[in-house]
Amino acid sequence: MHRLGQLESTIMDRMWSYQGAAAVRDILEDIQREREIAYMTVKTVMDTLHRKGLLMREPDGRAFRYRPTQTREQYAAAHMGEVLAGGSDRTATLLHFLEQIPADEVAQLRAVLDQAAQPKAQTQVQTQASE
Amino acid sequence: MSVPLLLFTYAVAAAAVAPLLSRGTWADRSPRVGIFVWQALSVTIIAGIVFAGAALAVPAMPFTSNLAEFLQACVMTLREQYSTPGGALVTTAGGITAVAVVARVGFCLIAELASAYRARKLQLQSLALLGRRDSSGQFLVVEHAEAAAYCLPGRHNEIVFTSAALGALDEDQRAAVLAHETAHLRGRHHLILAAANAIHRAFPRLPAFRIARTELTRLIEMDADDRAARSSSRLTVAAAVVRLAEAGSTPNVALGAGGTSALARVRRLAAPTAPLGALRVVLTVSAAAAMLVLPLTVAAAPAVSSAYAQTCPTGFPAST
Repeated sequence: MHRLGQLESTIMDRMWSYQGAAAVRDILEDIQREREIAYMTVKTVMDTLHRKGLLMREPDGRAFRYRPTQTREQYAAAHMGEVLAGGSDRTATLLHFLEQIPADEVAQLRAVLDQAAQPKAQTQVQTQASE
Repeated sequence: MSVPLLLFTYAVAAAAVAPLLSRGTWADRSPRVGIFVWQALSVTIIAGIVFAGAALAVPAMPFTSNLAEFLQACVMTLREQYSTPGGALVTTAGGITAVAVVARVGFCLIAELASAYRARKLQLQSLALLGRRDSSGQFLVVEHAEAAAYCLPGRHNEIVFTSAALGALDEDQRAAVLAHETAHLRGRHHLILAAANAIHRAFPRLPAFRIARTELTRLIEMDADDRAARSSSRLTVAAAVVRLAEAGSTPNVALGAGGTSALARVRRLAAPTAPLGALRVVLTVSAAAAMLVLPLTVAAAPAVSSAYAQTCPTGFPAST
């Protein structure tokens, strides 16, 4: 199961770096440069990715040509959008380091930090000067 | 009748205490104590109502280790109760209350955990495609223009940084964020949140549970901050919060009332107040622990005293 997930990620990596459509054989040859892998394995995983909506395909002779439904950036943006939207919802799905902060509060945060860091920096300068 | 009334009054009083407890900064000084108190308060309100209902349904459960005797006594008590119309009504109402409250909280907790589990599973699938593992092997990196850092708890737990977050932090600050997220994972903070969410969802109208959830959400962050500050300095953790806030996205929709906890966190990290003294910690924790056992004790008291009356008929006050 875990190795299948890795293969999905390997194939998506390659699909995203391809310009335009690719056949199973293209991807197969690409991966075979690094390791042994069977045609059917690659085909099965690409079918799965198609079923999951990550790849679309069009018939090309007896086989299919595949292309990603979204670019990597679009997919990442959609994923992160979901992650960040969950942040203000306070679900127990994931724990953010920081919730989303309104702009005026960001300035306030910076002011508090600078104020705290300043006396320290001054004393450092003073001790350096006295040395 | 006095025991159920006592328990119900106790639960109402405990719920009324919540707004007072949320005032002041005592919990911010020792977040772990605060977490325990808020959890104990939530549990004791629920337990108070459940045991009040149970005590109404079954006024004085006999206390015996003999099962057959126990069941027989139960039937006798219940039959006695049901023999009068008023008694039957009270018994039924009490029983339904107890069962309904337990069932509702249980249902909401399961729903909360299940939805979080499903959402995490989907996230992990996407991360398998998007994330690349950092060379240290400690976290995943996702290419994204908005700064964010978070952890996915559970069995296959992961800590995730966006590339923008890594860009915004220096090495020390990154270590601080990593320590903060690790503290969340180690402390099983997601379970604290899930329980607080579930109880609030079960009784959305009750301010006490809403306040408890808000407080717990803030306190687990402060607890994680404290743990992160042990391996790096407090100012480094504060700087990490500020840097990520500056590099993060700013939502154009207003957040819920009360604002964010980030300001309180940074103030607290920048100008630390001394944690609660040992005596106050002991007193507070004892009080919270007492809250946890009180409803059960009160509910069981008549049964226990009747059991004493049976086993040692002389020398012990059978009832007070």
